[in-house]
Amino acid sequence: MISSINPSVKAGAILIPGVLLGLMFDIFTPLIYLIFIIIVTFAFSHISIKKWLLIFSPFVLLALGFAWMRMLYTSEAFDSGPVLIQFWHIEITKGAMEVAASLALRSLCFVALSLLFVLTTDSTKFMLSLMQQCKLSPKLTYGVLAGYRFLPTFKHELDVLRQAHRIRGVGRAKGIRGRIQQFRRYSIPLLANAIRKAERVAIAMESKGFTGERERTHYHEMKVTKRDWYFFGTLVGTFFLVVFLSYSLGFLNIFGKDIN
Amino acid sequence: MTNQWKLKEIVLMSVLGVVFAVIYLMFFFFGQGLRNFLMPFGLGEFGYEIIFGIWFIVSIIAAYIIRKPGVAFTSELIAGVVQVLLGSPAGPMLILTAAIQGAGAEFAFAITKWRDYRLRVLIAAGVFAAVFSFAWHLYSSGNIALATWLIIATFAVRIVSGALLAGVLGKWISDQLAKTGVLRGYALGKEQQEQREHDQAV
Amino acid sequence: MNMIKQCNSSKLEPLIRVENLSFDYDNLKNPLISDISFSIDHGETVLLMGGSGSGKSTISLCLNGLYPDAVEGFSSGEIYFKGKQTTEFNKGELNQQIGVVFQDPESQFCMITVEDELAFTLENLKTPREEIGLRITKVLEEVGLSDYRNHKIHELSGGQKQKVALASALIQQPSLLILDEPTANLDPVSSIEFITLIRRLKEQHHIAVLIIEHQADDWLALINRVLVLGKNGDIIANGTSEQVFNDQRERLIQEGIFIPKVFMKAKKYITKSCEEISSSTKPCLTVKDLTFKRKGDVILNKVNLSLYEGEFVAITGENGAGKSTLLQLMSGILKPSQGKIEFLGQSFTKWKEQQLRKQMGFVFQNPEHQFITDTVFDEVAFGMTLNNYGEELTSQRTNDLLKHFQLSELKWRNPFSLSGGQKRRLSVATMLDETPDLLLFDEPTFGQDAQTTEELMFFIKHLQEQGTTIVFVTHDMDLVDTYCERVFVLNNQKIKFEGSPSELWEQTQTLKEARLRLPYRIRHQKKAGEPYDFVY
Repeated sequence: MISSINPSVKAGAILIPGVLLGLMFDIFTPLIYLIFIIIVTFAFSHISIKKWLLIFSPFVLLALGFAWMRMLYTSEAFDSGPVLIQFWHIEITKGAMEVAASLALRSLCFVALSLLFVLTTDSTKFMLSLMQQCKLSPKLTYGVLAGYRFLPTFKHELDVLRQAHRIRGVGRAKGIRGRIQQFRRYSIPLLANAIRKAERVAIAMESKGFTGERERTHYHEMKVTKRDWYFFGTLVGTFFLVVFLSYSLGFLNIFGKDIN
Repeated sequence: MTNQWKLKEIVLMSVLGVVFAVIYLMFFFFGQGLRNFLMPFGLGEFGYEIIFGIWFIVSIIAAYIIRKPGVAFTSELIAGVVQVLLGSPAGPMLILTAAIQGAGAEFAFAITKWRDYRLRVLIAAGVFAAVFSFAWHLYSSGNIALATWLIIATFAVRIVSGALLAGVLGKWISDQLAKTGVLRGYALGKEQQEQREHDQAV
Repeated sequence: MNMIKQCNSSKLEPLIRVENLSFDYDNLKNPLISDISFSIDHGETVLLMGGSGSGKSTISLCLNGLYPDAVEGFSSGEIYFKGKQTTEFNKGELNQQIGVVFQDPESQFCMITVEDELAFTLENLKTPREEIGLRITKVLEEVGLSDYRNHKIHELSGGQKQKVALASALIQQPSLLILDEPTANLDPVSSIEFITLIRRLKEQHHIAVLIIEHQADDWLALINRVLVLGKNGDIIANGTSEQVFNDQRERLIQEGIFIPKVFMKAKKYITKSCEEISSSTKPCLTVKDLTFKRKGDVILNKVNLSLYEGEFVAITGENGAGKSTLLQLMSGILKPSQGKIEFLGQSFTKWKEQQLRKQMGFVFQNPEHQFITDTVFDEVAFGMTLNNYGEELTSQRTNDLLKHFQLSELKWRNPFSLSGGQKRRLSVATMLDETPDLLLFDEPTFGQDAQTTEELMFFIKHLQEQGTTIVFVTHDMDLVDTYCERVFVLNNQKIKFEGSPSELWEQTQTLKEARLRLPYRIRHQKKAGEPYDFVY
């Protein structure tokens, strides 16, 4: 199961294809890889389809809007081929359409990869693994965790602030000036409290004998096993396989240059 | 580097990341509203660009308050990590994006050898964060495939947004915060305290 | 030879010895803590008292070596722990010998689950992994949280959080335990439970305890010695509780120290100050068949209640019983799922928001949440500006209010930089641009010291006399007993009791179910006959 894969290895397995996808400008490569990630997601994790769709579907809409923009304003390098659609004074070429679809699929790949990570990774384990595998300093590791713990507190506080402002008769902000005033009204109390809490929690941690030195024992030992490397190999390997396949079939397009 | 930082400064960077994760959410919807409004004019792309600077504000606030080398970069990186911990659908890629933006802001402070925290430097930090992040998005989001005039226009908007929403707004918020007295234990709070004592003496 | 000498000295040497300690955040010209000397013996229990801002908590952080470094402050003098100067300990070493529980249950943890938090402390001590699990099991048993090992800390109640904090202090097996107002943010029953726990642990372990508290009442049975820190940062009393509270009572009262009720001669807490019940029958606010659901859970189920003009009413009940939710519904900032609320004879749906806010005020638990401007003056003037009072009237009325609430000299200060009591007064003042018909308070005295509470009650009584209906959500039964005419007890989504406080004190079963504690007056009366306090 993906939830038991070492978080640092998992992050690496997601980052490498994520970054390399930036090179691909054809439809085939991101499409096949997207399908692959979705299959992996549901075959090897307990994520419910309903929950996944709930998070994923807004991004489909977003990607469509994104594609629309790309299609209307494609750079000359990509704006080639026969005109497919023509209305008003807009012409959309085959090249523009392809690039738009490719970029939309790429963004969906990012989302699917990210969901594969965030929905199967425990926050604490991720941080502990960054400390134990990637040698992140304990000071940063526990400092980040200490701050992260406050999220529910801050969310609650934001709700209370909203109510309190209503009691004071503050209406909805209008215009840029109003927006900035509103931003100030929310952020100052939130930040002031956050800073006090940060200071208190740091003192509390040091009172528990935390010095930030690297030498410490680990109750949860985060290990990297063969299984983790299989997972890494599968995700990254499949990416190169897809690239190779798309090359063999003559689809591959890197930075607007067809590679055949 | 982390040895020179106090634990409370690191926790501060982390809570800044959390608070702004909450505030970003408000801005995200605002950005979406802007985008929907501008979409019919074919200008949807600018919706997020206008508010893009707010993503760099953590760097500027943290560096301005703590005033130590590496703070601008690390605080933005931590903000990225925190958002991943919170389950952001942008996932680990966000950490990379945050690191690049943070490096941009840090660059501006590095030029002044981390000695100058006047408004102009903070604005420069916002601008550099915008430049770095724009370059990264040219690649990662494939913005390079956009028409040249659009690339230039969005670049200009992002720089202005970085200067104003990160640089100017970041300084303003920090100064307001210093007035509440909670920054007494940090470089900015101490500077303002000295300023007040000086004013009283004069 | 050297060993023998050390053994001998540790027998004679107190556990901790402070000599001429001074400390300040900025400089030592006029220090916060000024030239104090005291000691704590092995196994001794010492209470440290002092008014707000006297530096009590600062002392505890000086003792465990975190100050002055952590705040870049300044100090002079020496502190010896087991005969060795604290500055000679390695970083972190001293902290393993001194466990601390802090006041705020929200901000003393860095991990998500109870188990991980306890493991964090042991990892700091470089405890071998195999041993960590066993020690966690043992300490959780001791504090009675065995069932919560894998729970998330932020989902626990305040009382449970403080027990986790205690567990992570005890797990280091310290020889000194510092409790820095550990019960200030707890409800009365959780607070008693915590104190009882400390009492039991004291019987089992030979451990010295330093307790820092505003309200000493419930701790008295445990305490060997009392230290009092004065406003000038010096120690003004040092002796047994009888010596300190009897012999120096007047001096302590002047210093703003809260004298335990047992030592009070005045009848203040033994007699009831208001007995007459206001005769008004004109309803101010009526709640009819009110149901409220949150995410499918029923929070309130068919609640009915009426408030009459000029009444002082309390709503009470266990944490999570829905008291604050009910108050928010009564103010119209939450919408009921079902049912109806009428204010001054008109349904909420017919009120215009602006008018409603003018005639009804709401004071939040944390005053800071209500602050929206940069200065105390603007804060008070805000509502008037919003309602177009005109500049002259606004300025005049604002200055009057500031004077009334003793804030005139602070009017250009930032609201956040005020002291706790000043913030509380300001938050009430902001609600009074016109005398409202109804004023709702959400736990206004929670976590506040005695003096702040008293000041606040003075202003509130004054408002009630002018005809404002007052509603308090509170846990403080002494407050209910002293000031309220009627009290509602919420339990299991419904109102379980409605009547006068003295009637409530008879309802043992209801009190028990709602985890409420009898007020001191009644406990005192009952002590003669049947001892009553269901925790003991």
